[in-house]
Amino acid sequence: MKSGDEELVALAQKGDRRAFEELVDRHKQKAYHIAFDFARDREEAKDLSQDAFLKAFMNLKKFDGRSGFYTWFYRILVNVCLDYKRRQKRAPSDEFDETAMKQVEPSHQPAAPIAPDQHVWVGQFSRKVDHALAALPAKQRTAFILKNHQGLSIREIAAMMETAEGTVKVHLHRAVTTLRRSLAEFA
Amino acid sequence: MAQPSRLMANPCAAFEEDLVLMHYGDLSGTELNALQAHVPSCSGCSAYLEELGKLLPLTVKTDEPSQDFWTHYNRELRTKLDDAGAKKSWGEKISELLQVRWVPVFATAAVIALALTFTIGKGIWPSKDNSPEDEAFMEMLPVAENLDFFKSMDVLDDLDLLEFLGNQSNNNA
Repeated sequence: MKSGDEELVALAQKGDRRAFEELVDRHKQKAYHIAFDFARDREEAKDLSQDAFLKAFMNLKKFDGRSGFYTWFYRILVNVCLDYKRRQKRAPSDEFDETAMKQVEPSHQPAAPIAPDQHVWVGQFSRKVDHALAALPAKQRTAFILKNHQGLSIREIAAMMETAEGTVKVHLHRAVTTLRRSLAEFA
Repeated sequence: MAQPSRLMANPCAAFEEDLVLMHYGDLSGTELNALQAHVPSCSGCSAYLEELGKLLPLTVKTDEPSQDFWTHYNRELRTKLDDAGAKKSWGEKISELLQVRWVPVFATAAVIALALTFTIGKGIWPSKDNSPEDEAFMEMLPVAENLDFFKSMDVLDDLDLLEFLGNQSNNNA
């Protein structure tokens, strides 16, 4: 019989490593994809999602079950990703550089073959989106990524961000407005 | 991949936030009914909704790593968990020792150790600073001080005796 997250957490809290590894197996893909949405880089996304699992492992005894493991863990993950973005902003070498960005190939492959002129357009658009997302305030970026990329409900996002649903809606609307303005040149 | 044909539609300001929620399917009840009645008759709002539908999916960058990636991911994470587990066990041992319930035990043990050190230790460990002659002198010193005291007392007794004898001779006279 397949155990629920809470059952596995209870076992892991008693020191059962296999139970924690089962939790990792269940959540690693989603965790990786959220981290990828923040970092937009495969290696960084791998490190960030693994860091989140490590933090969860180290703090498992502090998990009191008031929220679900899913909410608790993804809150840790989002905080790890936001810390990474803050560190990245502080490092001068990581500032946005148009010339350097043009040399970086996106780490993902397009789903279907595309024409060369369209390939150029997609590359430019993708870089512009990366820059526009990175420029968003942390809370707006979090709300936008969790809604637009991950398809979470407003309620789930509010629980992860520990804020009111109305606040999430405001962050989401502001993020969309800013992104529209940033991407207006592609009209 | 479709390119957005035209951006920056002008929706009604009062509906803009709800239009975003409507795009994501997060609108219900009276707000949804109001928008469903409004949008078909408003070119700005309908263009905005259409624009969101074209633009926002394009901002998603997907990545589907291979099975090798996940195998490597699991192996790497297991190693990190082993390292973290080792650190955690040391940390747990130390924090367990520092827990509040152990404080009275440590305090009692410390008091007993101090008491034993001062009572038993006094007889066992001779003072290394003083020589045997000094030790003997130190033992004699209080006695000598007492002798001085008794000498003073003898003088006072003598004075009392003289006074008594003086008074007695005066009475006889």
